Amino acid sequence: MKVSLNWIKKYVDIPESITPKQIAYDVTVRTVEVEDVIDTKEKYHDIVVGQIKEIKAHPNADLLKICIVDIGEEKPVQIVCGGSNLYEGELVVVSKPGAEVIWHGEGEPVKIKETKMRGESSYGMICGAVEVFLDKLFPPKEETEIVDLKGINCKPGENIADALGITDIVLDIDNKSLTNRPDLWGHFGMAREIAAIYDLKLKPLKEVKPDKNLPKYQVEIKEPEKCPRYTATEVTGLCEKESPLWMKVLLINVGLRPISAIVDITNYVMLAVGRPGHAFDRTHVEGEKIIVRNAKKGEKLLLLDDNEIDLTEDDLVIADTKEPIGLAGIRGGKKDSILPETTGVVFEIANFTAPTIRRTDKRFDEKTDSAIRYEKNLDTETVDLGISLTLELVKEIFPESKVVAYTDIYSIKTERAKIEVSQKFLDTRLGKVLEQKTIEKVLKNLGYDVEYKDRVYHVTAPVWRSTGDVSIKDDVMGDIARLLSYESFEKKPLPVKFDHAVKQNDVLLERRLKEYLAYRCGFNEIFTYPWMDDKYIKAAGLNIERPIKLATPPAPELSTLRTSLVPSMLEVISKNLRYYSDFKLFEVAQVFENKEYHPSTKEETLPLHKKYLTGSITGKDAKKIFFEAKGVIERMASYTHMESLTFKQVEKPSWADPNAYLNIMHGSTVVGSLSLLSAKAMLEAGIKRTNVAIFELNTDLFVPYPSRTNEFKHLPQFPLVEKDLSIIVEENTKWEEVESAIYKMVKELEFIEEYRGNQIPQGEKSITLRVKIGNDDSTMTSEQIDNKMNAIMKTLNKKCNAELREE
Amino acid sequence: MLEKLKQVQEEGLKSIKEAKDEQELEIVRKDLTGKKSALAEVLKGLGKEDVETKKSVGMKANEIKNLFAEKIKEREDEIISNKSVLDEPIDLTQPGLDVEGGALHPITQMCYDLNDAFLSLGFEVYSEDDISSEKFAFDNLNFAKDHPARQSMDTYWIEGTEEKQGNERLCLRPHLTGGSVRYLLKHGAPARFVYPGKVFRNETTDARHEKAFFQYEALIVDKDFSFSSGMVMIETILERVFGRKVNVRMREGFFPFTEPGYEIDMECLVCGGKGCRVCNHNGWIEVMPGGVIHPNVLRSANLDPEEWTGFYVNIGLDRLVMMRYGVDDVRYFHSGDLRFLKQFK
Repeated sequence: MKVSLNWIKKYVDIPESITPKQIAYDVTVRTVEVEDVIDTKEKYHDIVVGQIKEIKAHPNADLLKICIVDIGEEKPVQIVCGGSNLYEGELVVVSKPGAEVIWHGEGEPVKIKETKMRGESSYGMICGAVEVFLDKLFPPKEETEIVDLKGINCKPGENIADALGITDIVLDIDNKSLTNRPDLWGHFGMAREIAAIYDLKLKPLKEVKPDKNLPKYQVEIKEPEKCPRYTATEVTGLCEKESPLWMKVLLINVGLRPISAIVDITNYVMLAVGRPGHAFDRTHVEGEKIIVRNAKKGEKLLLLDDNEIDLTEDDLVIADTKEPIGLAGIRGGKKDSILPETTGVVFEIANFTAPTIRRTDKRFDEKTDSAIRYEKNLDTETVDLGISLTLELVKEIFPESKVVAYTDIYSIKTERAKIEVSQKFLDTRLGKVLEQKTIEKVLKNLGYDVEYKDRVYHVTAPVWRSTGDVSIKDDVMGDIARLLSYESFEKKPLPVKFDHAVKQNDVLLERRLKEYLAYRCGFNEIFTYPWMDDKYIKAAGLNIERPIKLATPPAPELSTLRTSLVPSMLEVISKNLRYYSDFKLFEVAQVFENKEYHPSTKEETLPLHKKYLTGSITGKDAKKIFFEAKGVIERMASYTHMESLTFKQVEKPSWADPNAYLNIMHGSTVVGSLSLLSAKAMLEAGIKRTNVAIFELNTDLFVPYPSRTNEFKHLPQFPLVEKDLSIIVEENTKWEEVESAIYKMVKELEFIEEYRGNQIPQGEKSITLRVKIGNDDSTMTSEQIDNKMNAIMKTLNKKCNAELREE
Repeated sequence: MLEKLKQVQEEGLKSIKEAKDEQELEIVRKDLTGKKSALAEVLKGLGKEDVETKKSVGMKANEIKNLFAEKIKEREDEIISNKSVLDEPIDLTQPGLDVEGGALHPITQMCYDLNDAFLSLGFEVYSEDDISSEKFAFDNLNFAKDHPARQSMDTYWIEGTEEKQGNERLCLRPHLTGGSVRYLLKHGAPARFVYPGKVFRNETTDARHEKAFFQYEALIVDKDFSFSSGMVMIETILERVFGRKVNVRMREGFFPFTEPGYEIDMECLVCGGKGCRVCNHNGWIEVMPGGVIHPNVLRSANLDPEEWTGFYVNIGLDRLVMMRYGVDDVRYFHSGDLRFLKQFK
């Protein structure tokens, strides 16, 4: 919403010492956000009033004239002009060299220079309305027309913005910050707020009341709950007319386009006192009766923009005796519009409740100024301000007009909220003891009535804040705090508590897992969306029996919420392959399962949530990355201080290679899987010429240790002997078998490598292992060493059918 | 005789000085002090001389021998201290080798920085599930029945529940605030906790808008607590993020779940508050909303608003991370693009 300070000054005198910038700051901090402070004069620099003293023919051009123009300087200047409505004595708009104008009303502003036109010098330019931002005020009838300032009290040389009264400061206010303040949607309300901020006096509005003895205009309210108050004022003796300059300028400065005096009056009233109004041509109201009712099934309404809408029984309409003529509080119908021949109107100033307006307004993309205001829940009492100002303006602009009928149907009145606020409550919550005087002044300036008794403020909120905005003592406290400015309250440090130190093992475990993967194992953390792409669901081979879907997904193929992080992981891998060949990724996020879970009460049923950790290693050598990933998981538990994980083949994940998968176990519970990505999954996910090892774990099943569990072991007193041993075993012999055969015989046992090749017979393989052996009480002799190694070999031979590999 | 010795000494010292490395020095040592050395030759020829001469020449020769030993030691030290382990030249301008390491997501990093700060103030870390019910996402938080945020244009409702209400209407959580009531129902008051997490809005994405983004919310609930203490939480966040004290201001703001509510602005770090393009020429940048917890929200959490009060701060981490690093497109965060993520090691 745009707020004109000139307009504000009609209601409150602001001392010169308070600059517009200061006002913008104070209003922003205390009331609503001012996004911009606009100096309306800025774009009119070097644009002045000129008076044409003499017009001469241009020697070289038929369509151009040479004008001698008084622009308030020592001597008149010569300006070449092609305007079609030039005459001697005419007051015109002159852009002097240095001014910036919109050439022919199109494109960016262009700087005016002293120039020659067809050989004749020209000191600036006599302008048309579109060239100098005046088209709203002087709508041009033809293209070559220049602005004629006839009838305007101005003198040559005067800046045009000053001459027309355009010079103003406009505050551009963020509408979102106004949503809870229906009272601020007009200048009078904003003036009251500014007066309260600076403790200035708010000038009372003029009160004009319709004559009590007027005949009643026929109005019937069928839905008083939706329309608590409705006033109709019938006025005759009107005509097609422009609004006075001052009114047009104010409307333009706050972004409106003047239309005609009758329409402008309703707009002006809305912007002044925040009451949307409507003017019906009295001859268009069939039966001379207004009925406020719900629309009937099948009824239609033709809107001003020629769009016909289908009405529902939920829509509140203004109807005459025949049919709907407008959507209550939102838009007028084509039938009731004000036309040039309109001479009498019915002014509607009413109250429609917010939910009614919101429901009906949903069907439109753009909200009207009227709907925006009603949506905020206007009170019923300030309708009087709207009527009063309408009558005042009608009388001023149409002195011959006559109010011929009036009706006020007032079914439900907005009651002012009564609230008790104790001194103690304020002292505590404000963190500062304020004097009674201060509190009373602040509240009274905002329109509250206040009575202080027994350390309690008995306050009555102003009616314009009583439609929901102010209803509890916290609201009153908030009003006091904001008006004094939050900045004026000292920042109090948080009290420290020593009950217990915060230690949350599950939170810490998640962090340790992430840091382990990133910092120790070289993985990069990724974020993906909670929905999966159908393409990658298919690639991962997921078969989701009862998918959880979004009602309005971001795209049709993105409707399924994730049951696994693998599909999104595949997508990210395939995208990164354009730039990288070897990389490791992980994500920790929740997945969903269509089972029931009650986080609060029995009534609240959510799908099951599980926190998954999914990691991948991408690289050419499939075995290498598989064992790299296996190593990451083998060491995960000890590095992150949780109960250990083991491997077992239980069930193949849908995305796994048939020969390379393992399940990951915590005790006898499957907590996840590790596998190579299958050729099929890679093909469907567009992952080419590489391999992926992928693991997925349900971290909810991890059990963190309450503290570190590393155990100190005495350092060996006598040196250990390290020996490598290469054995030949059958192809299907597993390392696990080798390990379990001899691990008790040695201090340490390590797998070094597996080898198949020329020297190894078909169907067999070589395994190299490293052992450390030693005595607990002495240094091993070479004989002891030989004996031990022979014993190891013998055991391997017996249990694994292994032969020593001859070099 | 003595003349000869003088010559031996001079030549000897010269050869020690000229020895370039340990091997050369070893040869010199043999030449000068061995059995066949010049010095030995001189001593050998002493037989025919008288006692006096023998004595003085002998003394001088010993003197020279000791001098040689001393100088050889000196030269040896010199050679060792200048000796390099390298046996070939080295180009010191070649780049160092890469350190293989991954990275946490920049938002996770920021989140952990904040967790550390709040932990030191005695806050717990809490997380609510991604899917929530309308009751917790809206009803409990004092959102009006027909609040626009409840519409499917804004919130991702779960298929099959979108026409239901309250407990039965489910959505991807549109903000974290619903989690505050869950925590309070579970743990009661007093409480101080942070609850970071992702939230989801049905938005059209562009450089500044995402469908999924990361918020960080903190709440204190206590007795006799004033809103001015809430400002300390705000300063904690900003100091932690930017590494220095940042000027903030609180101004009036409106949210259904607060009363009063605030918008918190920080002084623009680009222009220092003078006004520039980044801050839209007013010197301040809106960073987070906050406010005093609304009595109706406390009631939803079964807490008596006469007894308890509290303070919320909610910060959009995406935006803060963008400011911290100068990232100009919010869509990078969910892109999984390593060219982006690798920058935050």
